[in-house]
Amino acid sequence: MELICPAGTPATLRAAVVAGADAVYCGFRNETNARNFPGLNFSTAELAEGVRFAHDHGKKVLVAINTFAQPGRVDLWHKAVDEAAQCGADAVIAADLAVLDHAANCHPGLRLHLSVQAAASTPEAVKFYVDAFRVRRVVLPRVLSVQEIAALNRMIDVETEAFVFGGLCVMVEGRCYLSSYATGKSPNLSGVCSPPEHVTYEDDAEGTAARLAGFTIDRYAQSQPTGYPTLCKGRFTAGGKTSYLFEDPVSLNAGGVLAGLKAAGVTALKIEGRQRGKAYVTEVVRAFRRAVDAVEAGGDAAEIDRILAGMSEGGRQTEGAYKKTWR
Amino acid sequence: MADEQRDGSLPLARILFPKIGALPLGTLLTKALRDLAKRQPNLFDRLGEHKSACFFVDPTDLSFAFLVVPDGERSLVRVVGKSETSSAAVFISGPILMLLGLLDGSLDGDALFFRRIVSIGGRTEAVLALRNAIDDAELRPADLLGLHGALGRLADNAILGSLRAARRLACRGLDQGERS
Ligand code: SF4
Repeated sequence: MELICPAGTPATLRAAVVAGADAVYCGFRNETNARNFPGLNFSTAELAEGVRFAHDHGKKVLVAINTFAQPGRVDLWHKAVDEAAQCGADAVIAADLAVLDHAANCHPGLRLHLSVQAAASTPEAVKFYVDAFRVRRVVLPRVLSVQEIAALNRMIDVETEAFVFGGLCVMVEGRCYLSSYATGKSPNLSGVCSPPEHVTYEDDAEGTAARLAGFTIDRYAQSQPTGYPTLCKGRFTAGGKTSYLFEDPVSLNAGGVLAGLKAAGVTALKIEGRQRGKAYVTEVVRAFRRAVDAVEAGGDAAEIDRILAGMSEGGRQTEGAYKKTWR
Repeated sequence: MADEQRDGSLPLARILFPKIGALPLGTLLTKALRDLAKRQPNLFDRLGEHKSACFFVDPTDLSFAFLVVPDGERSLVRVVGKSETSSAAVFISGPILMLLGLLDGSLDGDALFFRRIVSIGGRTEAVLALRNAIDDAELRPADLLGLHGALGRLADNAILGSLRAARRLACRGLDQGERS
């Protein structure tokens, strides 16, 4: 199985390649990609240089152009596809029909991966994208169990890629309006969920309040670790009860099901986190490289657990929908 | 465990960075930052509109703080007192060894922030832009000191070596603090 790793900057791309990535995915410095954070992402020249570096090391670069084109501004998304192709990218990851159509028609030699944002989880949906745009790989939505992935793979004739580590987006992929409602910006159109220009941390007598656009998303006692105020991970009061209304603030660690994903016919394993720093990416990629190599060599679950033991960052983790015990 | 060791700092930091008063560290750092901008102008591009923001950087285990405007060849660094925050748009504070670890990219800023070892305030998007710019810059101590060639390598090895050793000690203190 291929290990697909995130990079928000050229330095992180190089670090991921050296740490053991088979392919690195990244995006341009604008709203065409779903991690459009300040100071992050690649200029065209940086992408070209990154592709050269990866190819020199026998690795690949996949370019995420995975937001939905805004009416009247489709040219920006087309240009991103053209530039990715010119830079020698090994594939483009897209979800928008207009972007896929442009790539398939104008760059027939460019490999297309269907982004998780397209939320294609049925054989019929996958076949549509394959027939219409010659999509070669589908990044699976994070709503399927390992058994469902195995069944899907038996019914389709295209590679699949599954997320194994990092932040979770709990809504049907590509269709969440929470961030839009609070801030006017959404991951789907602006490439950013819970944008940092709306984030504040305020200390008071009770601890720290993490706010998004004036809404208090969570409170932390002085002795507690804090978190980023992503709207769906907040604690709210509704019906007289205070709880994590949408989803507990847990992150995905599917280390325990790597062998299951291999048996289910998954081609590639993806690590989330283009917004994360070089030190983090290096550590996660190194650990998953060893874990994937151990799975490929027939290593047992205890060995994989040992390799990934240090990967929790002190936060809570879940195997997500892969085991269907997830809330 | 003493409080200062529990939060990842060390008395050693005070020995490495003795109380130096207001001058001439600010002037030296301003010159170093401007020289760096001359050599690597792209480095400041990632900051975008945030390069004109004023960052108040407060090493909690030192007796002074810095006001930094990372505006390429117009960059400015001033050594200031801990209360001189009125012109700052962004606040970053933490033990000096941890802040230096962020500068050379060897430590994960998110983890330090979420574990409250480093704290931030003010314009979050400017902090993020700075974090990403620094993460990509792969700065070495010699870059900041304006040293090149063999002398630069010598300075890097000596400074990074001592910082690694000091941080190992500080992190051991931190882990023990968390377990206790
Ligand atoms: S609010 Fe949560 S579910 Fe919605 S886009 Fe953001 S991360 Fe995804």
